[in-house]
Amino acid sequence: VWPSLLAVAAVACGIPRDPRGTLDRVRGGTMRVGVAERAPWVVLDRAEPTGAEPRLLRVFARALGARIAWTPGAESELMEALERGELDVVAGGLTASTAWRERVALTRPYRTTSTAYGPGRAVSGHTSEHVMAVPPGENGWLRALEASFDAGAVTPAGASGASTGRAP
Amino acid sequence: VTDGTLAGARAAKHDEHARARRLEWVTIACLAPSIALVYFAVGSSQAMKTAWVEDVLSLAPPAAFLVAVRFEARPPSTDHPYGFHRAMAIAFLCAAMALFTVGAYLLAESLATLLRAERPTIGSVEFFGRAVWHGWVMMAVLALTSVPPVVLGRRKRALAQRLHDKALHADAEMNRADWQTAGAGIVGLAGIGLGFWWADAAAAALISVGVLRDGATNLKRVGKVLMDVAPTAVGTDAIDPMPARLRVALERMPWVAEAEVRLREAGHVITGEAYVVARTETALVANLEAAGRALRAMEPRLHELAVVPVRTLARPASTAAE
Repeated sequence: VWPSLLAVAAVACGIPRDPRGTLDRVRGGTMRVGVAERAPWVVLDRAEPTGAEPRLLRVFARALGARIAWTPGAESELMEALERGELDVVAGGLTASTAWRERVALTRPYRTTSTAYGPGRAVSGHTSEHVMAVPPGENGWLRALEASFDAGAVTPAGASGASTGRAP
Repeated sequence: VTDGTLAGARAAKHDEHARARRLEWVTIACLAPSIALVYFAVGSSQAMKTAWVEDVLSLAPPAAFLVAVRFEARPPSTDHPYGFHRAMAIAFLCAAMALFTVGAYLLAESLATLLRAERPTIGSVEFFGRAVWHGWVMMAVLALTSVPPVVLGRRKRALAQRLHDKALHADAEMNRADWQTAGAGIVGLAGIGLGFWWADAAAAALISVGVLRDGATNLKRVGKVLMDVAPTAVGTDAIDPMPARLRVALERMPWVAEAEVRLREAGHVITGEAYVVARTETALVANLEAAGRALRAMEPRLHELAVVPVRTLARPASTAAE
């Protein structure tokens, strides 16, 4: 958490800033997260979302001193809400090649997997870059989230699940 | 018929033509890595995409110039009795068209971005193991790629004046458009960094108006040149006083009663006709030949002048004032 706190703080006061002030609003406030079920990245079978992406977002929220308001939904609904500025992040096992990339902003990959997951679906040599989505143009917010991913990557393996490697 | 003066003047220009060719090769050599660099720094930014398209389009003027130069030097043939001087006018047309296209593209793109209220997203990139805001990288790339056009443009502009080369001059204006849009891109990215999503598109729109105007002016000029307008100075619409000068010189010759001269530009050189009403038909052919030689000696750019004896002059209506 400490490195991510530092990384977030380093960019919080500087450039780039958000046109809509997302980062300033979320810090010490509420982070509105849309979650679409996509095991193992996002799992919605309990009261609170679990999986790699909710775990990363909890680390980020803790660094910002924010509480998370989870909104479960279908990917398309969540993306449209994100575009309208009604959500701050969408997590749903997205990859960098998602068709939504023209309409919302995608983070840098927090993780790259070299094989597909699931029984009988392993495709050797196929690379998936796992990303999350934020509102377009909120560059400070995007930068802070990406910095949190980077900081997570240097914590001991398994702490944040943000290491580069095979799928869980 | 080439006389000594003309040959001498041409030899003096030879070095400068070689310099112009070298400058154009350097331009292409600078643009190629710049195109590659911007292509990889592009990301999702519309600003950088526009800069890239502009870089690609600004290859057109130097390429057209270098092709035209190859044709221009060819001697006249039976198929091309007037030679190939006008190849340079085609290079001018290409340069003017490219400049206009860049301006139009830039304006359309930036206005569309503003109208759609598209918020440019610029995230961070890994740079030697550290996360850097992509905006800084793009600003650095833009600053780097704007240096060559500043230097090259200045040199081309000065050389174009000395060589009376309108294609080279239009290319210099393209270089100006290059560094100006790069500058606008840097300002725009800084604006985005400060949270003004419209900054980039607004800066590009502002610059594009100037580029579009330059392009339109050059298109108009190249149109005039192709329509055989009287020779004009490089980079202006001012008519060269050469025809009047030649007419006065002719009318000072004792055997000439009246004269009229019409000239046009064919690339670097000027060609045309002089119509002369002679006072006497004695030694007319020798007089005509001597007059042609004298006039060409007066004006190094005058490549070909047919001196034609006539009984009366038919002066064009609007040029009487000049």
